[in-house]
Amino acid sequence: MTHDATPTPSPTPGRTSWLPPLVSLLLPGGGQALVGRYVRGAAILLAIVVMAALIIWLQGYALLAPLLGIWLWNSWDSYQLVRGRQPRLGVPILLGALIIYGLGTVATQVQPTRLVTGWSSMQPYLRALTKPELFTYPTEDQIGLVPIQVPCIEPLPEPARKPTEQPRLTVSVPCASVGDVVTIQGEGFFPEFEGELWWINPIGDPQRVLENGQQATFVTDAEGRFTAQVKVPLAVPVSEQPGPGETQTHLIRAEQHKPYGSPQPTETLSLVVDKIFETVALAFLATVLGVIFAVPVSFLAARNLMYGNPVTRMIYFVVRTILNIVRSIETLMWAIIFAVWVGLGPFGGMLALWLHTVAALGKLYSEAIEAIDPGPIEAVRATGASGPQVVVYAVIPQVLPTFASFTLFRWDINVRMSTVIGLVSDAGLGFLVIQWIRLNQFRAMATAIIAIMLVVSIIDYTSSKLRERILEGAPAARQVSPTRRLVTRAALVAAFALVFVWSWRLAEVRLSELVRGAPAGLRMARDFAIPNLIERPTEERSVSRPLPVPCGAAEVPSTSGTGAGVSLSLECGNVGDPLIITGHDLPPNQDVSVRWLLPDGAFLRVQSNCCRTDETGTVTVETRVHPLMELSEGMTEPGQVTIVWKETVGGPRFSEASRRVLELSIVTLLMALLATTLGSLFAIPLSFFAARNIMGKTVPGRVIFYGFRLFFNLFRSIEPMILVLICAAWVGAGPFAGVLALALNNIPNLGKLFSESIEDIDSGPVEAITATGANRLQTLVYAVVPQLVPRFLAFILYQWDINIRMSTVIGFVGGGGIGQQFRLWVGLNQYDKAGMAVWAIVIMVWSMDYLSARARERLI
Amino acid sequence: MLRIEHLTKVFPDGTVALKDVSFEVKDGEFLAIIGLSGSGKSTLLRCINRLIDPTEGRIVWDDKDITAASGRELREIRRNIGMIFQQFNLVKRSTVMTNVLSGRLGYAHPVWSLVHRFSPEDYELARAALERVGIADKADNRADQLSGGQQQRVGIARALMQEPKIMLADEPVASLDPVLAHSILQYLETLNREDGITVLCSLHFLDLVHRYATRVIGLKDGELVFEGLPSELTADRFKEVYGEEAEMVTVGGTMSA
Repeated sequence: MTHDATPTPSPTPGRTSWLPPLVSLLLPGGGQALVGRYVRGAAILLAIVVMAALIIWLQGYALLAPLLGIWLWNSWDSYQLVRGRQPRLGVPILLGALIIYGLGTVATQVQPTRLVTGWSSMQPYLRALTKPELFTYPTEDQIGLVPIQVPCIEPLPEPARKPTEQPRLTVSVPCASVGDVVTIQGEGFFPEFEGELWWINPIGDPQRVLENGQQATFVTDAEGRFTAQVKVPLAVPVSEQPGPGETQTHLIRAEQHKPYGSPQPTETLSLVVDKIFETVALAFLATVLGVIFAVPVSFLAARNLMYGNPVTRMIYFVVRTILNIVRSIETLMWAIIFAVWVGLGPFGGMLALWLHTVAALGKLYSEAIEAIDPGPIEAVRATGASGPQVVVYAVIPQVLPTFASFTLFRWDINVRMSTVIGLVSDAGLGFLVIQWIRLNQFRAMATAIIAIMLVVSIIDYTSSKLRERILEGAPAARQVSPTRRLVTRAALVAAFALVFVWSWRLAEVRLSELVRGAPAGLRMARDFAIPNLIERPTEERSVSRPLPVPCGAAEVPSTSGTGAGVSLSLECGNVGDPLIITGHDLPPNQDVSVRWLLPDGAFLRVQSNCCRTDETGTVTVETRVHPLMELSEGMTEPGQVTIVWKETVGGPRFSEASRRVLELSIVTLLMALLATTLGSLFAIPLSFFAARNIMGKTVPGRVIFYGFRLFFNLFRSIEPMILVLICAAWVGAGPFAGVLALALNNIPNLGKLFSESIEDIDSGPVEAITATGANRLQTLVYAVVPQLVPRFLAFILYQWDINIRMSTVIGFVGGGGIGQQFRLWVGLNQYDKAGMAVWAIVIMVWSMDYLSARARERLI
Repeated sequence: MLRIEHLTKVFPDGTVALKDVSFEVKDGEFLAIIGLSGSGKSTLLRCINRLIDPTEGRIVWDDKDITAASGRELREIRRNIGMIFQQFNLVKRSTVMTNVLSGRLGYAHPVWSLVHRFSPEDYELARAALERVGIADKADNRADQLSGGQQQRVGIARALMQEPKIMLADEPVASLDPVLAHSILQYLETLNREDGITVLCSLHFLDLVHRYATRVIGLKDGELVFEGLPSELTADRFKEVYGEEAEMVTVGGTMSA
């Protein structure tokens, strides 16, 4: 057999050259196999089949054209192979990329027009970010009220409220209908000052009066008078509208708030400050507890320590596998899982951070242990030291700096994570963000987002400085007296203990919750372990019988023949009458659901946890006629009593959920791919502006350089999850928002890394190529690009790894992909399905990590 | 004929690298430039092909003012001046062939060359250049897989692609061991004798100067302190250039020459 690696096999004699291309045309890769290139043939066949399947599944039929191109190329390829030539793979790779990216845009619903059409809906977010709620002045208020009745009736009763006297507000008409425009006049207000108009409905809910969609304001004249037009809003829900011949008293309120005195922090600000402390406390506690657990775990996961005998080697593999599984599930996903176990709150968030920390640090620590230099151990042992002495004098000094550096690195990540963990749980700053977004309080939201950026930047800066110092080694030890050293150490320990206790309290650690929630947690764990992969399809069947309430309100059709059916103890009845429902001739021993089918079309269960038929297929329920079964005016169809059950039809098949998981896994991968590509495409040109050596030392050059650096650093401090929220407001929730957010996050991240590697390029080759008389463009292509390509690719692969992980969780806040479905399933307590999503994520993260590690090896 | 007239270079940070340096190089000479590190040798060489712009003074080559040239004219001048470097300055991740071909960029099509397209004649020339420096078999290797001596030979082959009239060599052997140093200088000597290429080469070792150069200039703190034949470079003169502390060191392995 000719191996694929053999270069240009000579043409096989005695075989006609038209046969392989023809075979390839009929079966892709067939011709290649015919000339002995089995691997090439198989690869072509596999690629075409997979791409065709994806195109059909995702319905991107236009992409069949490039697929046809690959098909034709495959035939040409085998023709060339027969003639002993080795065609290049440029064309099929280009077409393949076209198909993959085409599928990506289809699957992630990329719609660039939404960037424009959605811009206005993002405006409030952006505007709010420029003016967060920080301080406010205490105010002196003028508030005027005037009643108005809606709608007008004859005769009009006295309004339920009187207008205020000082300041005085009058309205042009005593009553109006929704949509009418009335004129109000005020006097006795603060002169020449702005005020707000509010509409208060009969139950006291205020809303701002709108004018062309904007919140209406008024400005008083020098005498404190004003006139304004108010359009009567629909201030009462349809169900609360007054009946015919009735009216309701609404109020129009005009208010002015005149600030005086010194500024006070807003309530928003004090809440944000509280949550900053909580955020930092969560991260601190999770890091400290994480370290405590990770150290012993790391010893169990260190190859050089555990490879000695079969038992420890077994432990090594088990520990490693568990660490890898835990690590490949993002912290935010753990937060959702822990919320099921211990409930929403800081404690669950802390546990999620802690678990991920143990797994991540366990792995990093174990690698540090594996990298230990055996020399010093040998040397210390040679002095006759005992085992523990060897550890203290030869092992710990070697691993300590690395451990410390990794721990700081993790602390950094934990702070970042704990700022956003609140997006899925009630913990830290993220919770404020999501809560205020839901309440449309954008300025408050902006305050929280800015707080997150601040916390992240500060932690980022300080820990990178600290890490530098740790890795450089401490500066020469100053001579300090032993007592002073003791005092300093005691103070440090005391401070640490204090912060620890304080964090413990802020994180609301309640270990009893772990026990109390254990049944729910265990049930989830059990369901996670048993994936809902295969199911037998079911069809819903039902039998029903009408029940007019009250009697005579509607015709009752006569009972129809034999077979499955419902019989009732009443032909018709009144609300509250006792009723016996009997289902007969149903499938025996079948779970059924007995329901009221209400006259308005909705249904209600007659009893919860009901019911099951006996051997004869009969089920009986005693109840009373439900109040909502009553026919109100205008309804003609009487309510019914229905028995519903599910019958399996046909053989087992892959479950709906498993197919959904597969589909969403592909969407998630494509999201990560698109985001990485988009991010890189924008980051590459921008990074040149942030490279000191490219921008030179001229004044405009430096201004541009610092501008871009600042932009990158500022943008990097916006957490990707926060970007998802904003992008979901921009282009609508869904995969496109996720792709956009990830790409926007990647641009500054990659831009920074790229610009640093541009600054790092060797100027020698640039000089040499310039000296040959090459022009600038040629110098760029021959001296700069070859140096940058491998570094850029390595960074892009690294970002790709991160993006895969991120894209599994951005669905929690409207970014599409598998995370969205996971959260939904957990919310519905369908843990068997949610578990499948988790396993899919683990497999996805593992396989992509493996692939990119392999790719990186080949690059460097 | 290359004429350096009153050349002065002051760097933006105030360092005076060259102070009013004037001398002439006749066609076909092998001029050695000696001096301590930081005496201005590299700056001088880089002023000649304008990798560095001089602050004052002129460089005239066959009645062309190099210092006044710019744009296409400057690139054509550079095309005729080959240069090799102490650190070889190869693009390490590119193949030897690509590195050598890049010496042809001044002649190549400005657009096609951007996608690595060169004419068959250029390929022919590149193979000939590689054969001339004795590493034709390494054409498809990546440059960083080669030893230091081989890398410098790639550097020479790249410069040869320019079909230069002048060759600038900035301490071409300072990073190489003595045996390799001789072999590299012998290639330069061959180019100088057989092809009539003028060579300007900065060197550190007196015995190499004696062995290869036809004329010597010495720089000290940016000033020209010696100009003459290698035989005129006595121990005293040498100390003038290198300072009182200096001892003459020879490169071992001269016997292999």
